[in-house]
This record gives sequence, structure tokens and C-alpha cells, in this order.
Amino acid sequence: MNKAPKAALTLAAAAVSTSLVLSGCSSAAGTTGGGGAAAAPLGQDAITKALNTPTTLTFWTWVPDIDKQVKLFQAKYPKIKVKVENVGQGLEHYQKVRTAVKSGQGAPDVVQIEYQFISSFTLTKSLLDLAPYGADDLEGDYVPWVWNQVKQNGGIYAIPQDTGPLGNLYRTDIMKKAGIATPPATYDEYAAAAQKVKDATGSYISNLPSNDPAQVTGLLWQAGIKPFSYDGNRTVGINANSPEVKKVLAYWQGLIQKGLVSTDGDFTDQWYQGFASGKYAGWLTAAWGPIFLQGTAKGTAGKWSAAPLPQWARGQNASGNWGGSSDAVLASSKNPIAAYELAKWINNDKSSTTKFANEQFLFPAAKNVLEDPAFTGGKSSFFGGQQVNKQFAEISGTVDTKFEWLPFMDYAYSAFNDTVGKAIGDKGDLSAASDAWQTKLVSYAKAQGFTVK
Amino acid sequence: MTSTQIDVAATAEAVVSAPPASPQSPRGRRRGPLLTVMLWICSLYFVLPLFWLFIASTKDNEDLFSTFGLWFGNRFALWENLRSVFTVQDGIYAQWALNTVIYAVVSATGATLLAAMAGYAFAKYEFPGSRALFSITLGAIMIPLTALALPTYLLFSKVGLTNTPWAIVIPSLVSPFGVFLMRVYAADAIPDSLIEAARVDGAGEFRIFGQVALRLLGPGLVTVFLFSLVATWNNYFLPLIMLNSSSLYPLTVGLAQQQAASAAGGGSQALFSTVITGSFVSVIPLVVAFLFLQRYWQSGLATGGVKA
Repeated sequence: MNKAPKAALTLAAAAVSTSLVLSGCSSAAGTTGGGGAAAAPLGQDAITKALNTPTTLTFWTWVPDIDKQVKLFQAKYPKIKVKVENVGQGLEHYQKVRTAVKSGQGAPDVVQIEYQFISSFTLTKSLLDLAPYGADDLEGDYVPWVWNQVKQNGGIYAIPQDTGPLGNLYRTDIMKKAGIATPPATYDEYAAAAQKVKDATGSYISNLPSNDPAQVTGLLWQAGIKPFSYDGNRTVGINANSPEVKKVLAYWQGLIQKGLVSTDGDFTDQWYQGFASGKYAGWLTAAWGPIFLQGTAKGTAGKWSAAPLPQWARGQNASGNWGGSSDAVLASSKNPIAAYELAKWINNDKSSTTKFANEQFLFPAAKNVLEDPAFTGGKSSFFGGQQVNKQFAEISGTVDTKFEWLPFMDYAYSAFNDTVGKAIGDKGDLSAASDAWQTKLVSYAKAQGFTVK
Repeated sequence: MTSTQIDVAATAEAVVSAPPASPQSPRGRRRGPLLTVMLWICSLYFVLPLFWLFIASTKDNEDLFSTFGLWFGNRFALWENLRSVFTVQDGIYAQWALNTVIYAVVSATGATLLAAMAGYAFAKYEFPGSRALFSITLGAIMIPLTALALPTYLLFSKVGLTNTPWAIVIPSLVSPFGVFLMRVYAADAIPDSLIEAARVDGAGEFRIFGQVALRLLGPGLVTVFLFSLVATWNNYFLPLIMLNSSSLYPLTVGLAQQQAASAAGGGSQALFSTVITGSFVSVIPLVVAFLFLQRYWQSGLATGGVKA
């Protein structure tokens, strides 16, 4: 992909996200009160009426083949027509959403948003608080840590779709060659194993990408670190260079500088080749990783296994999250009830969530799949017959529940790549790099008018 | 290594200082090895990426990442890749290809016509401000389309034309470079005396343009047509920001979207070989267009070169 347009998009995204423009929306139900005002829950009558009124909804998402789920929804509510549009992925998608919201024209009703970007949309009051529409009642349907991701100041701003709790995928054959029988339980063991793997096989125990802030953030998340916080208004907390952060980074710096962990950019050709050729003996990755590997490293089928992440202290059992997304309703939607029902139904009804898990291979956020033996019992031949879903479903329960984001994660991530990411690639001083990251974040936040705690 | 360099340098000198070849056998003149080597390097430079693209489109995902890039992999997967190009996501690729053809042909035809009219007018009519207007046109060549994309988007959004085919076609109708080329070409290709003669015979200005000038401009028209065709065919940024519906995408944006789907992490589809084969298919029409129109294209460039 072209670099220049991407940079331009990011710039434009930053410009729009900070302009605090409330799109021209007037319907009473559509207004998002800060803190979910005293809006009474909608009556069942209103919902039934809305779902029986001919309506066309627009749904922007990049989930492949989501038409399957939408068809189910339309079969259930024949009066509602849904137009699914894929306007890009990640930052491109958000940029389009922001532009549409700002221009007041062509904005969709329902949008896919990754968890870390939700607050950048609530900041501009672009999202509808779904609590008055009944989202409050859904809390028990989702894993607790995920629910916290969509909740802000008592409001519910999105319905969780998929998640990416972190585990350790490793090549059993390479580990065996290095004389390692069980996956490392602690990071100390992991470092020792890394040395053995390198000595015996020449492979790296894993790769820490120089271009992926989300993975590193996930590893910080696992360590119980909260580098970011946001009060939902104008105050942010930034602790990107705390001693805890530096401890985690110093650990990785050690492995990198000893040549035990490679630093290739992920989702690059070199990196795909690394999996195919056995350059990497493992990958500390999210629950979507297993399926991803099957698509890109078919030749290594049967040689993989999945385990929980190594822990910082023996006996601990903690994980973080990397990826996943949710569906939100834009405040400008003219059909908020129907839009909410769409976002809810496809991510809540079991027929739909099961399809997400088994056909698009999204790792579920909904308990009705996570706790379903049909899902967890599945054996993966790529993983030598292991019940990989079961492994990750257990890991999902260990993800720290209180992780927060900044309302400008697009900037935070690009600043990461310029500082910590660059230092990872250069095998440099990660501690100094985290100081630089912190400085950048604080000055950006202040320039945008935030109070920094 | 050093000795070859010296050889090459010596040959270069010989080539440069060689006396003009005898008029009897201009074709038989020996071209120095330097020139040959340079030309080979140039062709390799241009052909290798295409070759890579072809080779890569015969591989499956596994071979893509595990075998040497410039030769065939373990399995010849071209046919199944082609099948997946036209079946993935309900065969939306065909829709994108059709869109690309429509956008490119309509834009290129319109742009050629407009450029021909403007170039002809600049070359053959004296009117107040013609120099200033032409200078502005020249200046416009220097502005990259990408820089204009965002302002264009805002304008189109105001009049409600975003997410329609017009959002791609209308901006592509304007080709300052085409105007420049047509002006240079028309100035030489159409003798003033011919226009005078037509006027004396009582032909109106539009008739002169349509029946006399356009015919003489043939090679120039093809050149401008090909330029605009390629520009619109390859345009990525404009459709990226203008369009939201997958069904309106041209190949560039569509393929980029499928490529992104490969690296999506959660819910990703490993479409690498599909995207590469799709890219390969998408350049074939351009190659064919060039081969067929080469005759005009060459004579168009050459004529301009000699006369200018």
C-alpha cells in the first residue's frame, strides 16, 4: 500500500477527530447525553414497532462474508434491509466514518470499531449510548473484560463482536529438538528456552515486531500495566514509561540484544516466510492467530501447539488482549432502534455468533459460544489434534479486566512506531525509547487540549 | 571487475568518438556492447516485476512464502488461483473489472476529446488571454492529482456526488498534460493553410475541427487516450476516498481491500495468491491496449519529437 495516502489519511483523521464536531443530528433518541442521562429504557412496543417498519440500514464493516449473519438478521426481521459496505480496514475505515459524520452525509447506521478506537468516537460524541435501548441487560452475555471495553461512564457504546486474548503458539518439533518438553511457564523459563532453541536449532523462539504497537500493548496488558487512562471527558492519564513498562521492555531488549528474538515487521513478506521456513519457533499471539497461521503456513500443519503466555511470576495466570472489534451505532442514525437491534442481534443471537466463530473464525466475545462444548471441543489437526478453542477460551477468562485506552490511539500507535518500535528494530535502548514515547504522547495530548494526569 | 569497467569505458569512448556511419548502411552500423548491455538492463528492469507477477500468480500461498520468487513453485496453481479470483466474495472481482473498464474508457475518451479541443484552440486561435490560460494549464501539470483529491472530495460531497461513478469520471476528464501535448501536436500537424482553405470553402469552425483537424490529429489522440486510460486505470487514491460501496470500486481499491483482508488478524482470509493473480489479470488489458495501439503511439511521439 502506498505510504503517502496513508499518512495523509492519518493526518486528516487526527484533524477531524479533534475538531469536536457534532454531526447534525436532532432526533431525541439520537442524542448522546454525556453519562447516559436519565433516559428511560425503551418500551417493548417501540422496539416492536421499529422492527416492523420498513427500514434500510447501512452497515460499514470489514468482516469478510458478514452477509451470512446479515441474511439471518433479515430473515428474522424481514422489514429491515441492511446494506453492508466495506470501506476499508482499520484507520482507512475510521477516516471514512469521521469524514461522513463530519460532512453530515452518507454516514452509516452501524459501524465496526476496534476496542481501542471506541473512545476516539465517544470523544466527538459520534456514538449512540446503547444503554437506553437495552444494552445494559447484555452484560452477562459477554466476558467481563470485554464488557468493560465497550462501557464508559455508565454508557454502553458498542456490542462486542470478537476478541484476541493472548497465548503462546509454538512449534512442538523445534521445541523437542531443543530438549524442551513443556511450554515455558514463566518469562524466566521462556528466556532460558530461547537460548536452548537458538543453540540447538538456530530458530528464534519468537519474533517481536518493530511495527506492531498492538502486540506490545497486549503484552503490557498481560503484565497488569495500565499505560493509558481516560475519564471520558477531557482528562487522560499517560504512563508509557513507568517502571513497570520499562521492566517488560528491558526483558525483551535483553532477548533481542542476545539475538534470541527477531524483530521483523509483522504482516510483511519476510515475516510470512519466517513462519513457513521455521525461522520462528513460536508466536505470542492472539486467539485469531491459530487460524491465521493455517492460512499462511500450511506446510507446517500438525507441528503447532497452543499454551497460555509465560507469566511474570510463578503461579500467576494472566493474559492481555490483541485485536478484536465491536459494532457501534452512530449518533446520527435516523433509525437508532433498528440499528441497535442489528448490532445486538448479530453479536448476541447464537445462530449468528456461532457462524462468526466457525465460518469467519472470529474468536468469540459472547459466552453463548465461548461456553458451548461444540465450539471448545473442536480439535484442530493443524495443532496436532489439540482443542485450541478450549485453550483460548480458558485464556480469555484470565485477561485483565481494567485496561483502558487513550482517545487518540491512532496517534499513540504511530508515535510508538517512531520511538519504541524503531528501537526494537534497531536493537536499541527500549527504556529511552519509552521515555520518548511518553514525551510525544504528553505533548500531543496537551496540544489537543486534554488535561494530563 | 575492474578490467570490464575499463573495457566498458573504452567502448563508450569509441562509441562516442566514432565517426558517423557511412550513408550506405545505416542499419548495419555496429552498436557498441555498452548500448546493448544498457538496453538489456533496461528491459530486465521493466520486465522483471511483470515476470515476478506472472510467476507468483502460479503459486499457492504456501509456495509464495517458501520458494524462490523468480521461478515456479512446487505446484502450478494458476488455474485454481484464477478460479478463486473470480469466485471469492461472490465473484465481485468481475464487477470491479467492469467498473475499471467503464471508468477508464469513459474518462479517457472524454479527456481525449476535451484535450483535443483545447489543444487545437490554443494552437490555432489567437484570443485575448490565450497565453495566460495556457500558462495556467502548464502550471496545472505540476500539481499531482493526489493533492487535489481531498478538495475534490469536499466539493463533490457538497453536491452529493460522492459514492457515484461520476466522482471518478468527472475529475479524470481533465488532463492538463493532454492539452499541452495536443497543442504542440496540433500546431505542427495541421497546416494553417488547410484551415484557411476550409474556411474559404465555407466550412464552419466546428466542422473544420471535426472533419479536418481531428483526422490529422489521430496519432496524438491515441497518445493522449492511452495516457488518460492508464492514469484512470491505475488511479487509487481518488476512488479510495470517493467511494464507499464495494460494488462501485475499481480494481485498484478492490484488490487493496482484499490484500488488507489477508493481514486483518481476526477474521482474516489468506487471499495472497488470489490478490496477486487478480493484479496479474488486471494489467493484461493495459498490455493488450498498448500492443494494439503501439503503431499510433510510436508515430505520435516521433512526429512530435521531430517537429517540435
